[in-house]
Amino acid sequence: MRFGKGWVFRAIALSALPGIASCSGVQSALSPRGVEALRIDPLFWTSAAVGLAVTLMVVILVAAALYGPPRWRERLSGDRMLIGGGIVLPIIVLTGLFTYGLLVMQAGAVRGEQETDATVTITGKLWWWEVVYEGPDGKAVLSANELRLPVGRPVRLRLESDNVIHSFWAPQIAGKLDMIPGRTNEVVVEATEPAVSRGQCAEYCGGAHALMAFYVVAMAQAEYDAWLAREAGPAVEPVSEEAARGREIFFEHGCGACHQVRGTEARGVIGPDLTHVGSRKSLAAGMMSNDAQAFARWIVDNQHIKPENKMPPFGQFSEEELSALAAYLDSLE
Amino acid sequence: MRRFDRRWWRAVALGAALAIAGAGIFGGLFALSGLYNVAASREHFAITNAIIRLTLTRSVETRSMGVEVPDLSDERLAALGARHFAVGCVPCHASPGSKQNPIVAEMYPAPPPLTEAAEKWDSEELFWIVKHGLKFTGMPSWPALERDDEIWALVAFLERLPASDAEDYAALAGGQGEGDDTSLDFGDGEGMTEALCESCHGNADARPVHPLAPALAGQKQAYLLRALEEYADGKRPSGMMQTIATALAHDELARLAGHYAQATSSAAPVGNPDVLAIARGEQIARNGVREDDVPACLACHGEGTSAQFPRLDGLAPEYISTQLSLFRDGVRQRSTYSAIMKPIADRLTERQISDLAAYFSSLPRQPGTAFLRPEGAR
Repeated sequence: MRFGKGWVFRAIALSALPGIASCSGVQSALSPRGVEALRIDPLFWTSAAVGLAVTLMVVILVAAALYGPPRWRERLSGDRMLIGGGIVLPIIVLTGLFTYGLLVMQAGAVRGEQETDATVTITGKLWWWEVVYEGPDGKAVLSANELRLPVGRPVRLRLESDNVIHSFWAPQIAGKLDMIPGRTNEVVVEATEPAVSRGQCAEYCGGAHALMAFYVVAMAQAEYDAWLAREAGPAVEPVSEEAARGREIFFEHGCGACHQVRGTEARGVIGPDLTHVGSRKSLAAGMMSNDAQAFARWIVDNQHIKPENKMPPFGQFSEEELSALAAYLDSLE
Repeated sequence: MRRFDRRWWRAVALGAALAIAGAGIFGGLFALSGLYNVAASREHFAITNAIIRLTLTRSVETRSMGVEVPDLSDERLAALGARHFAVGCVPCHASPGSKQNPIVAEMYPAPPPLTEAAEKWDSEELFWIVKHGLKFTGMPSWPALERDDEIWALVAFLERLPASDAEDYAALAGGQGEGDDTSLDFGDGEGMTEALCESCHGNADARPVHPLAPALAGQKQAYLLRALEEYADGKRPSGMMQTIATALAHDELARLAGHYAQATSSAAPVGNPDVLAIARGEQIARNGVREDDVPACLACHGEGTSAQFPRLDGLAPEYISTQLSLFRDGVRQRSTYSAIMKPIADRLTERQISDLAAYFSSLPRQPGTAFLRPEGAR
């Protein structure tokens, strides 16, 4: 069997596909939409460009050394080439890159130094994110698994953990920062344009570490204020008969022991706050789309979707009960 | 040495091989021919009997090594064992008050009367035999091998059996030992009625015979029926309750669940002098333990919750702590509902379990009284 040139080209193109695909999309660090992400973005391109130039140079020199005319080969084997290309050049290039990196990364600076008038506290859980905003009246507003940011306004993130070490990483907004039990790490972030991006826990934190993601929703200031005012309010009353029945089931089966729905007697703090869960971008910390089917699946099958998470499986519901319960949760917008 | 040279050894090996082959062929022919008499009516040779008995005795002695004997001095434990004895053992072994069924008596080996079992065997050996049974004798193993606690109840009873005469036995078995109960008929509902239930679980006037058996009066009907169904299906392991729930028709289970949900009890709650433990338990029951991810018990076990979630008020402290341990140890995890309780029980410490047991057992359960609700009710 003979392979033509076309085959080789296609193979190279195919193998590059996953790499190219990960360069765009909601979780790519190459589409910066935050002040810090924009600041560190050139570092990648500069390092990549320098790396590429050095590689090209080496390839050309190797080719010349193997196949070039005798005069070139003689020059290449000289001491001057060894000392210049093997010692002096790397020292200059690497020192330059290192210094540039330190400057861009603002080494030694405190990432939470900047003054802000808004603070969000994010706590790493097993395996989800508790997100607490400051409401319009200064009261804490509990939410989960999603970070909303006003565009063009610096926001202080206080990062905590009450279990193991997690790492908060929203690639389009800023670099990583660890969440360490017993201390609070702070970083000031600022979104530069309205967009939805995705973040991920970046420090191995147990079996379901890879299943611990979140969405970042950057929105215009006015929109953000309206959203926060709504988020701070109590849950909406169910409008449909099915959702009302779902709320009864919610309480009959003890869901409120772990979950809070403000405006009702459900005051649990073990699992995520569900007051406005229906308005979030995802369920189960970025794992599922947010719709009634996903709620139903999670309630019954959560131990398969996110193994060893703290929620027991609730397999006791009839189909009608389950869809009513899912309809209620879905209605909590 | 000339005598043990190579040729000598070769001859020995050949002879041995021939002997083994011959024995194999002879044995095979003997089995195939049908000459051996398997009749139960024909006894073993004395030598065969001796070998079997020796093997059995040594096996039980060796296998029961390392079994740790709990405190068996509690008369109530023996009384519970006696009641299971009447249902589960008497049909074959008979009791001090009854004669062995003639059909059973012709089993070979015939099930021995157990009046002397405790003289022949130590506690750990009795435990091992009751738990694992004996091959080729008709002695079955315990239907729920996970329930050592139940097996010890029976051992506690067997240890008291030698001293018992018919009257003592009847007293210990709570009247269940009287009359002709050696028939193998477990009943189709008749004779397995409330009297049987109440001989262990107590009634309006009497507490349960032992805390392993919960008080039933006023429990939720749907939960009671589900518990009986789970026993019958083997989803909730219990050598004692599986036996009874399987013998009853589903209609009868439903009737009994309804009956005990309606029943009332005047039995006062178990007093507990440790008011601090009660207070700690109440705190957990109402609010949970945030740092341990323990939810408030009353969110599911309080007022206005699903009829499938049992109420816990007025249950004995030993019953509550035993059940929580069974959840935690994975004995109770086969049913849909136990899958909910198991991960929560896993998060409880021994002390939290005993505090919860103290709290719930201190509450009176009276019909009509509102169940408890968690803090900050709707």
